[in-house]
Amino acid sequence: MPRVMVTLRLAPEQASLAEVRDLLGLTPDEVDPAFGVVNISPAEHLYTILVDEAAAGRIADAEPVEGVYGNPRVEPFGPPEEDQSSP
Amino acid sequence: MRVLVQFRSSPAVHAATLRGEAMPSFAATAAEPIPGLVIDPAYNPVQVPTPQTDEPGASPYRYSPAVSFSMALEEATYLVRGTVPDDPDDQRAAVAEATARPEVVGVYSDPVISTCLVCPGDPAVGNDQDVATQLGVKALADAGMDGYRVPVAIVDTGINLAYLESKGRDPKFSRQRSWAPAGVATRPGQHPVGHGTMCAFDVGIAAPKATLLDHALLLSETPGETAMSGLLSDAVLSYSRLLEIIQAIPASRRSLVVNNSWGMFSPTWDFPVGHPGKYSDNPAHPFNVIVASLESAGADILFAAGNCGRDCPDSRCQFGTSRPICGANSHPSVLSVAGVDTRMRRVGYSSQGPGRIDPDKPDLSAYTHFTGSGVYPADGGTSAACPVATGVVAAVREKYPSSVLTPAELRALLFKTAQDLGGTGFDHDFGWGVIDGTALTASLAGVKRSSRSRARR
Repeated sequence: MPRVMVTLRLAPEQASLAEVRDLLGLTPDEVDPAFGVVNISPAEHLYTILVDEAAAGRIADAEPVEGVYGNPRVEPFGPPEEDQSSP
Repeated sequence: MRVLVQFRSSPAVHAATLRGEAMPSFAATAAEPIPGLVIDPAYNPVQVPTPQTDEPGASPYRYSPAVSFSMALEEATYLVRGTVPDDPDDQRAAVAEATARPEVVGVYSDPVISTCLVCPGDPAVGNDQDVATQLGVKALADAGMDGYRVPVAIVDTGINLAYLESKGRDPKFSRQRSWAPAGVATRPGQHPVGHGTMCAFDVGIAAPKATLLDHALLLSETPGETAMSGLLSDAVLSYSRLLEIIQAIPASRRSLVVNNSWGMFSPTWDFPVGHPGKYSDNPAHPFNVIVASLESAGADILFAAGNCGRDCPDSRCQFGTSRPICGANSHPSVLSVAGVDTRMRRVGYSSQGPGRIDPDKPDLSAYTHFTGSGVYPADGGTSAACPVATGVVAAVREKYPSSVLTPAELRALLFKTAQDLGGTGFDHDFGWGVIDGTALTASLAGVKRSSRSRARR
């Protein structure tokens, strides 16, 4: 299942996987443990987690949730494809 | 300087031209040779059609209303090609002398022209030495700025140090501050030679002494994607590590330069239009938030503008007529870099603004499509332009940490000192112009250096 990023506003002591799972009622397999709880704005106490899309829909209106965001693929910008043969 | 000289006919010249012969000599038309004007004998005179208007007093050169053209002998004028001196005073004298002659209609410039912009598949234009010269690397180096010990994160497909060394580069490297997504088998600094190694080489044009950090974001092992791609969530992890790194550097000598030669080729990779979780145009997206955090902590963040320019986009581009500079590549806290070749022309694939988050993108241009790293036939794409600019920023940071010159202040200086191209001031093709290390160095002379800039051993 595709995963999406969910932004949370947390107190620093809440910024652990166990705390977040408890807070949002998520099962362990719904949250990416390797990604963890990432502090994206220390000044604003904003964190993000990576969760299954279906679970994200379920928690979207929970109190610490600031938003649910896409996780698009990215690629190198060149050289343009036509120029990538060996010299 | 090459010029075109338009002169009135003489019977001898006209007869020779009709026979398709070379002009007898300029002396056949000009009463006396004109000092400083040298006519090219290999260029056959070309008759210029004479525009005529039916309206009394109207200028035929307005071409409106429609004019007719005469090739009659008595009205004929001809062009010949020649040169005048390059020295401004001598040039002015030669042109004045020529235009004072009754047989001369005018003297016009004969600029070098070429067929089209550089496009994907075209041969390289110049090499990394040409880039160094035009970039003003000597001025930076003479001012003691070559990036010594400045950390530069290459967020890309990974770096191969042995390859860089084989190409004459000798960068410092920090394995401890490098990073890769889970599952990547190769070690930092030992990844397969590719796009990231090209970027690292190009940073070294202006900042050969920088300390490289290898963040191999685009070696993601995500199943079902192309061989070289990643997910934005991996970029969040990379930036989280960079945030820790910069916060561990004492504020007085804090600097971190982050090169990002990557982005999206298709809007379909993102949530659809109107979705609140979109990345492309949404400053609240977690990656855009962490970009702003990292910049506010003192990092200079550079993003390639992209290769979806209107003239000849990369074949992977799927933006159509919508804005291709999107997501963090269009973030107001980053430097978004467009591409020009070493002839100072925009490469036809360089993405044009406006940007989706900040409309005033790209910010500025840097050189690309040159022979350099040898990884590809040309170090091309805005992928190469970005690390060329990153190298200049890293060089400056050796003497001016972010405590002395914030990332926003340095961006403003880069804009002010860029060599303007395209429209006057900012435009959506070149941004503020081409990055200019010489002018930048001169303007930095007025900025107080850090008392704790990096001492060399």
